[in-house]
Parts: sequence; C-alpha cells; structure tokens
Amino acid sequence: MSIESPPRAVIGSPHRPFRRGVDNAILGGVCGGLAIRLGVNERTIRIIFSLLALASGVGLLLYMLLWLTLPRSNETQSIAHRLLGRRRELHRALFGLILVVGFIIVLDRLGIPSLGIYTWPFLLSLAALIGVWRGATPVEHVHLEELVRSAPLIRVPASPTKKNLLLRVLLGTVLVLLGLRTLSRLHGVWGGTTPVLFGTIILIAGMLILLAPWWLATLSELSGERRARVRVEERANVAAHLHDSVLQTLTLIERAAGDESAVVRLARNQERELRQWLFDPDHHVADDEVGTYASHLHAMESEIESDYGVKVELVVVGDCAADADVLALVAAGREAAINAARWSEAPLVSIYAEVEPTTVSLFVRDKGKGFDVETIPHDRQGIALSIRQRMCQHGGSSTLKSTPNVGTEVQLSLPRAT
Amino acid sequence: MAAGQPRVFLVDDHELIRTGIRSELSGSLDIVGEADEVDAAIEMIVERTPDVVLLDVHMPGGGGLAVLNAVSHKCPDVRFLALSVSDSSEDVISLIRAGARGYVTKNISGPDLLDAIYRVAAGDAVFSPRLAGFVLDAFSLEGKSLEAGDVDPDLDLLTPRERQVLRLIARGYSYRDIATELEISSKTVESHVSSVLRKLQLSNRHQLSHWASERHLN
Repeated sequence: MSIESPPRAVIGSPHRPFRRGVDNAILGGVCGGLAIRLGVNERTIRIIFSLLALASGVGLLLYMLLWLTLPRSNETQSIAHRLLGRRRELHRALFGLILVVGFIIVLDRLGIPSLGIYTWPFLLSLAALIGVWRGATPVEHVHLEELVRSAPLIRVPASPTKKNLLLRVLLGTVLVLLGLRTLSRLHGVWGGTTPVLFGTIILIAGMLILLAPWWLATLSELSGERRARVRVEERANVAAHLHDSVLQTLTLIERAAGDESAVVRLARNQERELRQWLFDPDHHVADDEVGTYASHLHAMESEIESDYGVKVELVVVGDCAADADVLALVAAGREAAINAARWSEAPLVSIYAEVEPTTVSLFVRDKGKGFDVETIPHDRQGIALSIRQRMCQHGGSSTLKSTPNVGTEVQLSLPRAT
Repeated sequence: MAAGQPRVFLVDDHELIRTGIRSELSGSLDIVGEADEVDAAIEMIVERTPDVVLLDVHMPGGGGLAVLNAVSHKCPDVRFLALSVSDSSEDVISLIRAGARGYVTKNISGPDLLDAIYRVAAGDAVFSPRLAGFVLDAFSLEGKSLEAGDVDPDLDLLTPRERQVLRLIARGYSYRDIATELEISSKTVESHVSSVLRKLQLSNRHQLSHWASERHLN
C-alpha cells in the first residue's frame, strides 16, 4: 500500500519522498514538490527560485534539472529515466546537448559578449525544456498543453471574436516587425550577440502569437487522430482473434450439438485458450525448451482434458527444472490421470504437484467408482504395475489407494537430486 | 421459504449467470435480491442485510472489491463469497484480503455452490484447491521476503497442521475427506481453514501485500 503524499505543503511537517507536486504545480511542480518535502510554503520556494534565476541563472538550471530527474508524485519514473530508456531519444538528447555546448563554446571563443553569465543556464535550460516535452507522460503532457493554452496572449478563446482576432494579428505583426528590425540593424553577421538573441526572441514571440491558434488546433487534432487510430487497430486485433477462435468454436459446438462430450471438450478447450489470451498473454510454452515440472504438467492437463473430455484441476506449488527423473514422474502421473479419466467415471480429476527442498511429489485423485485394490482387474493391473516400475527405476515410490464408490488416489514421490 | 435457509444476494453483471444461479438454487436458498452494477448492489445490500452476498469479481465500476469495501464496514455481519470466472488466485486474493470468506469459480456445480454458500453463512471459509495451492506458495518456508525481525509467527507462518490441511484441499479432498484422513472432526478442519483465512487476510508477507497493492494501483 503506498503512502499518499499530501497534495499541498503542510507547513512545518516535512514529507518524504521527494516528488514533483501535481495538485500544487504551476509549471513542472518542482517548487510544489520541494515545498511538500520541506514543509514550507510554496510561495517562499518560488520566490527563492526566481531570485536565484535572476541572480545568475542557476535557479533556472536547477529547476530544469529537478524537473528532469524527479518523478512526478504518483509516477515511478522520472522524465530523464524515461528518456534514457529510449535509445532513439537518447541519441537525440546527446546530439542536442553537443550542439548547445558547441554553440556556447563558439560564442566564447569569438569573444562575443553574449548574454554573459546567463548564456549557459539559459541555453541548457532550453535543451532541458525540449527534453521535458519529449519525455513527459501523457498525463503531464495534458497539463503542459493546458498551460500553453492558458498562457496570456497565446490563449485561444473558445469563441474567437473579431476584436480578439484583430488584436492578435496586430500585436503579432508589430512584434514580428520589431524583431526583424532589431535583427536588420546589426552590422555584419556577428555584430553583437545580445541584439541577435533579443531580436530572435521578439520574433519568435510574435510568430507564436500569430500562429498559436492554428498550431494548437493541429496539435490536438494530431494526438486525437493518433489515439483514434490506436483504438481502431486494437479493436481489429480483438475482432480478428475472436473470429479465429471463439466464433469457429461456437460453429463447431452448434454442429456437434448432439454429442455431449464433444461439446464439453470444445468448450473447455476454447475456454482455456481464451483465458490464456486474456490473462496470460506472455505465457507461451516454448517447444524447443526443456521446460519445467510445472510447464510439463500444464501441457499434460490440456492434453487429457481435450483427449478424454474430463475436467482436470491442476494445482502446482513450487517448480523445478525437468530432468529425466522428473519427466518420468510426469509420465507416471499421466498414466494415472488417463487411468482415472478412462475408468473412474468421475467428471473431475484432481492433480496436485509440489516441489519441496528434498522431494518432488504428484497426487492424482478422482472421486469415481473406485475399486478393491486386492482384486484389480487385469487390464488395470498392467497400468498400476507400469507406474510402480517407472517410479522404482528412478528411485521414487508410488502408492495406490482406492475405495469402491469413494474414489482413487495415486501418490507419487521422487527424492530430489541435489 | 423454510426457516433456516440462508438469505442470499446475487451481484453479477451478467444476466445469464444470475438466472442460472437463481434457477438452480432458489429451492434451497432464500434469494433476497440481485443487482447488476456496483452502486445498486451497495445500496440494496445495506438495505436488506443478507447473510451471504455472492459477489462477481469482475464488474465495471470497480468490480466486487468496490462493493465489498463499501459494505463491509457498514454491515459487518454480511458475509461475502467471491464468484470468479477466472480461477487464477491473483484475481481473487484482493477480495479475500478485503474480507471475502472464500471464492468459487462460475463453472462450479449446483450442489457444490450450495455447500459453499451454507459454509460461508455459518462463518466458515471456502477454499478451492487452487487457492490452497496459492496459499502454500505464498507462505512457503523458503520465502525470501521474510526479514528475521519482521515475522509475526501468529500471522506470517502456517502451523504444520494447517499446511497438512491445505495440501489435502489442494489434492481435491473435501472437508469431510480431510477429517477422515487426519482422524479429526470436521469442526477442527473448519477451524484450521478459518485460521488460514485470517492469516491470509492479515499477514504482511511480501507476496500478499504485493498483490494487494498492485490491485490497488489499478
């Protein structure tokens, strides 16, 4: 059971673990998370971060670093962790980082007065922001999209009025022109980096304001389209599977309506197959593998169920590798189970297998008609003998218990090789 | 309606299953109502306080667990028997941990289901072979998750006798068969099983709390 984090900071009571806040987040939830962790008012933390950012830009960089490396509350992985897990993203991130560092070094080498002490934190934070956008979970993406959408000026009102549109176009155009003018005033290519950056920022802001509605619409359309496509594919997959297996079986059942045991067998097979597909999709018994005790028993269970039309209830506790001795034990158990399925007239055969430190055991039981052990019919004696011989050869033992009209149990056990 | 018949409430979102159970059991049980979704079930169970609720594990809106959690603290006397189409114990272990007295699969025969309901109504536990196997696995002595200081012998370990009883259940023995086999009374068998149920519900063994928290997150 996970311990719930408080949604907001409780003043004076620090709280572990350190996570980014969700409910008290404005941007990435770093300040909110820190406030919860330290038990300090959110606003205090925010002011400290702002001051740090203004003083040398370190606050900004620290913020982005925490954004990348701290998992969000309720999430287990940080953005950085997720990004590092994807090879392609990793390559992109490295490439981007090298590009940024290279750019800054070139600026320094040329002795160009850039943004001064702000250059490094600013550009690295920009790179980190791109990383955040690429690595955020869908939930956080929604939060970020909402943030962008509700930002002043970029915000797209639900029903854009003419006045609104006019204001947007006007403001956007003015900013774009201003940016271009700043850039065009430069003398030479590297006339001064400050105006370059300044002009570029103004230009970008202007274009953002002009194009925001169109851009946001495309964005949400794209993600909606992608979601719809995934859903359609998923549905097609399920439909294909249901058609291949379930519908086919239902047709077979309809055709075999007169034959009760055939119907039961078909239904049981289909049930097992469907259950595996639904609940245990990763579980495939590989034929080329040696397998384990349990995997051989499961194979035997389905085989007997489909061949003899009885229900087999298999319970396995523990597991071990299937060596020659264990395979002999399974083979002996199979004979006992087939025997029960054929002769006992019980609808259910119970098989219990257990692996203990020193022994491997197998119990096959039915509540069928049973027989008197003293007067075993000859055709069945052969089987009992063969089970016993098999077990003896491999150093194990077998016991047969049967009572007329109560049932039969075969107990097999094998010492474990250590 | 004869006196002494347990009052039973059905919760299942499949009409066919409810109809099947009702037609099979209505002679031997007093079926006081049924519901096909979580909210209605909670409201009606609290209102009618049946002896036993037959509770489907998988339902939209939180499933059987939501019903169990909402009702159990309001009506502690109502007992729950989980009804699952899947026989994997992982599916029902969270219901058991939440207070259900046992579980049966939907392909159980009529007489066996009746037997299970009567047993739950009497305050006993109902263990299927598979659940017994799961418990033996979860409480295995080789459990790596047990830190020396963390073990509460009353909750985290099974007694040899309880182990014996569970093994026999896993081998397909009925309670009466077990009593005969171990030469003890049926009542003693029942008290062993109830004690295992209590450990299953309260133990902090890693494998158990792990299931519970995993389900909780979903």
